[in-house]
Amino acid sequence: MKKNDVILAAALIGIALAAFGGAALYSQLTTKEPEAVVRLDGEEKGRYPLSEDTTVEIRQEDGSYNILRVESGKARILKASCPDKVCVSHRPISRQGESLICLPNRLAVEIENGAESGIDASVLSR
Amino acid sequence: MKRIRYAKVLAAAALVLAGLAFILCKSRGPVRYEGQFYDCFDTVTTVTGYAESQEDFSRKVGLLKEKLTWYHRLFDIYHSYDGIHNLKTVNDAAGKEAVEVDAQIMDLLLFAKEMYGKTEGKLNVAYGSVLSLWHQYREEGQKDPAHAKLPPKAELEARAAHTRIEDVVLNEKASTVYLADAQMSLDVGSVGKGYAVQKLAEYAREIGLEHALVSVGGNVCAIGGKADGTPWKVGVENPRPDSGGTYITAVDLASGSIVTSGDYQRYYEVGDARYCHIIDPGTHMPPDYFASVSVQAEDSGIADALSTSLFNMGFEEGLSLVEGMEHVEAMWIGKEGETRYSSGFKVNEEK
Repeated sequence: MKKNDVILAAALIGIALAAFGGAALYSQLTTKEPEAVVRLDGEEKGRYPLSEDTTVEIRQEDGSYNILRVESGKARILKASCPDKVCVSHRPISRQGESLICLPNRLAVEIENGAESGIDASVLSR
Repeated sequence: MKRIRYAKVLAAAALVLAGLAFILCKSRGPVRYEGQFYDCFDTVTTVTGYAESQEDFSRKVGLLKEKLTWYHRLFDIYHSYDGIHNLKTVNDAAGKEAVEVDAQIMDLLLFAKEMYGKTEGKLNVAYGSVLSLWHQYREEGQKDPAHAKLPPKAELEARAAHTRIEDVVLNEKASTVYLADAQMSLDVGSVGKGYAVQKLAEYAREIGLEHALVSVGGNVCAIGGKADGTPWKVGVENPRPDSGGTYITAVDLASGSIVTSGDYQRYYEVGDARYCHIIDPGTHMPPDYFASVSVQAEDSGIADALSTSLFNMGFEEGLSLVEGMEHVEAMWIGKEGETRYSSGFKVNEEK
């Protein structure tokens, strides 16, 4: 191998390493913070970072509503128009895959990018 | 000469890069998706699985919804649908005539009769007349909590006279169902969902979902483990959310189902007391044994039927029922949060 070949090979390896380093750094930087994702009838309606305290009213055309409260890194339903109030009595959620469900209003609030709970689904009496 | 050598080096470098890129892509593995739909069995269905793309996954979830909707309609006792004879059709014809039904309804009712025998009547799909009375009082109570009432004892007793499983007359050859008592009605709420989930799991495999987790309102069924071969981890919810953690425990699920019956989530309050939606055919009242019972079984229909039955009987009786069946395990959570397990119940970890 000639000197130039070595330089070329080294340069190529260097570029490759830089690219991978960049990709790793990029994925680190773009790792999103935990957020509560609101879906109505399976359709996404909004995302709210758990790091910012906020209150969101999710009102539908027929007048039904749920009031979502994000506070101290957790999300819960403060108030709702549904008859059963199952969503209101549910404990606050903060971990990956946890959800608040309001069946009558077809509302689901789910945590994305949250700390892994390691749980893929929960068996419950719904 | 020099050019050729450069070309060789470049080609080699390109190969290395391509190889690295391939490894990088591969290490990401198939992408995990989650889909959700409503309208089936009055609950929310969540499907977790893997696919080539979001479109591919959404299409498969759409097919699952179609399938589950079909079962929902067949087992519906409140609504009629054009072109199908469902359980409402059968109920409406009680005491009048036999109704020709789909093979799936026949199959479900045969299974339900078998489970009636195994559970000594704790699982009774002919219990509709009593359940409908509770349903009516529960709905009224939820709408107007200040005036919530319990169904009168005398009326419960009167209706209970019309719940004989022998009056559900099945003619397999003609594929007909006849309710021999005009005042009786079918309600498959304790078994229909589990039965449908089992069929849904089989269908999921047919459409190419080999690694998926389906939860129909907390009735969880695994189709294979995760894509990497490890089992899914399913948390058993704490029935008393005000105290303790989210989950009581977790189980590994690579195949089969786990189903819970509990006194939380679906109930109404009369005064200070809570009355859940499960009614014990022995007393015609919500049972008072446990906060929840979870049953793990290969077949989701069996898991569903048994979880309701076990919720309606004491621990000793339930335990001997479970221990007498193969590939069935159970976990009981008491009113004070105490847990008990059948001998083969495998806990993943205490949460």
